[in-house]
Amino acid sequence: MTVVMHSMALTKRSIRGRLRQPAVLAPSFIFPLFFAALGSASFTRLADDPFFSANIASSFLNYAVAGAILQGVLFASTSAAGDLATDIEQGFFERLLASPISRTSIVFGRLAGSMVVGVVQVIVFLIIFTAFGARVESGPLGVVGLIVAASLLGLAMSALMAGLAIKSGSPEVVQGAFPLVFVLMFLSSAFFPRHYMSGWYRTVADWNPMSHIVEGMQGFMNQDLSITQFYKAWLIPLAIAVISILFALRTLKKRLAAS
Amino acid sequence: MIEAPIVATGLIRHFGTGDNIVKAVDGVDLEVRQGEIFGFLGPNGAGKSTTVRMLTTLLTPTAGTARVAGFDVVTEANKVRRSIGVALQDAAIDPLMTGRELLELQSVLYGLPKTTGRQRGAELLERVGLTAAADRRVGTYSGGMRRRLDLALSLVHEPSVLFLDEPTTGLDPMSRLTLWEEVRRLNSNGTTVLLTTQYLEEADQLADRIAIIDHGRIVREGVPRDLKAQVGSPTLSISVDATQSDQARNTLSNFGELRATAEGTLGVGLARGAEDVASVIRALDEAGIKVRHLQLDEPSLDDVFAEATGYRLEGAASHNAPDLAADDDQPVAPKRGRRRSR
Repeated sequence: MTVVMHSMALTKRSIRGRLRQPAVLAPSFIFPLFFAALGSASFTRLADDPFFSANIASSFLNYAVAGAILQGVLFASTSAAGDLATDIEQGFFERLLASPISRTSIVFGRLAGSMVVGVVQVIVFLIIFTAFGARVESGPLGVVGLIVAASLLGLAMSALMAGLAIKSGSPEVVQGAFPLVFVLMFLSSAFFPRHYMSGWYRTVADWNPMSHIVEGMQGFMNQDLSITQFYKAWLIPLAIAVISILFALRTLKKRLAAS
Repeated sequence: MIEAPIVATGLIRHFGTGDNIVKAVDGVDLEVRQGEIFGFLGPNGAGKSTTVRMLTTLLTPTAGTARVAGFDVVTEANKVRRSIGVALQDAAIDPLMTGRELLELQSVLYGLPKTTGRQRGAELLERVGLTAAADRRVGTYSGGMRRRLDLALSLVHEPSVLFLDEPTTGLDPMSRLTLWEEVRRLNSNGTTVLLTTQYLEEADQLADRIAIIDHGRIVREGVPRDLKAQVGSPTLSISVDATQSDQARNTLSNFGELRATAEGTLGVGLARGAEDVASVIRALDEAGIKVRHLQLDEPSLDDVFAEATGYRLEGAASHNAPDLAADDDQPVAPKRGRRRSR
């Protein structure tokens, strides 16, 4: 019970911190929308391709929604982990350790905060994309599917980045790792369907878990509900989340043991 | 018999391994009694922060034991944390939160019910004079306001033992006095306080007892008055006409060893103590020496510190250290070489 209360208090702090740094929060909204707008403008005619319209999406805008959500979640997760590293670097982490707080709630508070931001992002993105003509083909359950997927993805990425933050204690290291994640995203089907890729690029995208996660989310946007979508959009991020959380907690334990 | 609130026995903390081992704390024995303000002094890198971090459960000792508020700092760490208040110099306050929000968060972390936490937060804000700034983000606070908030945060759960790590470093004199008053007030209500400071005046003003740590070991411990008395005799300094200074020096040398004092003055360590002042004046008068100024200085805590560690701290007053001209920011080493840094 104490862990829950402590985690909730720190979640509240985490969300408040996000909201009070608009300059940090804004990119996680602006960049995904910018990339989606760019993609939609460049690849509108892709929807004329019978394969695309029959198997992938009714419009490129509809296709771009999942990629935008993925991108937004990655931005937000990195920022949340960066805040944790800042806490370590500047000493707030030490203040928490001096109190009788459950150590795991320090990590869980951040992760939960990141999940909440992820949920808000999905809702905001869906409202904006809907205003420009996108629609969730699988209906309200698809919306729920997208929200849960974004939460799980936020959890997975935040935990991974949090582990890095705890290990390094440096916001610069966390920010420095972000381009790697960003490259991984570009080497997936987040911005362009795998069907049209070829050579090594296609091979990398095939093996890239992000491709499968984003395609599960694209499924929620563009197709009737199916078990495959849940498997891809929920189970893969959940599996990554479990591993990432274990990594983050192990790193925390090591850091505490070293002190 | 009631156990002392802070007891450390053979406390050791080493960093690194093999040839690179640093003995930050090398066998500290310490006892802080119920209801006292205990000053913990030492040059930079002497081991005082490492000791405090072990006593506050932030660092695991390499060896030795410590009990705080009746609990072992290793095996009962969480009970220790519940019983103590900690205001660490290097523990930041989230600049994005307001003072009130931070106090409420602290209340939750210490398990206080929400309404109690709010009420306690408001009381503490009032007490440290931050009510008007309570809903402003901490990022807009001055250094003094932050330290006062830091103190308030450490008091949310009404701890019986309070650790203050250099609480007034960087504060202006007024803020420093305000904080001293609050520490005295807390202590008068029964809170035991362990205070680390680099300001000897602060220790002199506040502490019932002090300990000086150097090279990871306690080198002096006791009541400031007694420690000063142990250092030696008081210094009498006089100023006379330049034409009479040789004669005055000869006269003074009959009362003890000559000591260098401020420029333009002559000093003597009175071998028989302050009671010799009258005799000195009489001797100077009989020798026809006209004294323009006379001053008697008892040994200061700075003298105790210098005698114990071989160093004087920045800005510390000194009457017997003419060769101790300090670099701007560094402790001065009159007897030994440069200090290691840690």
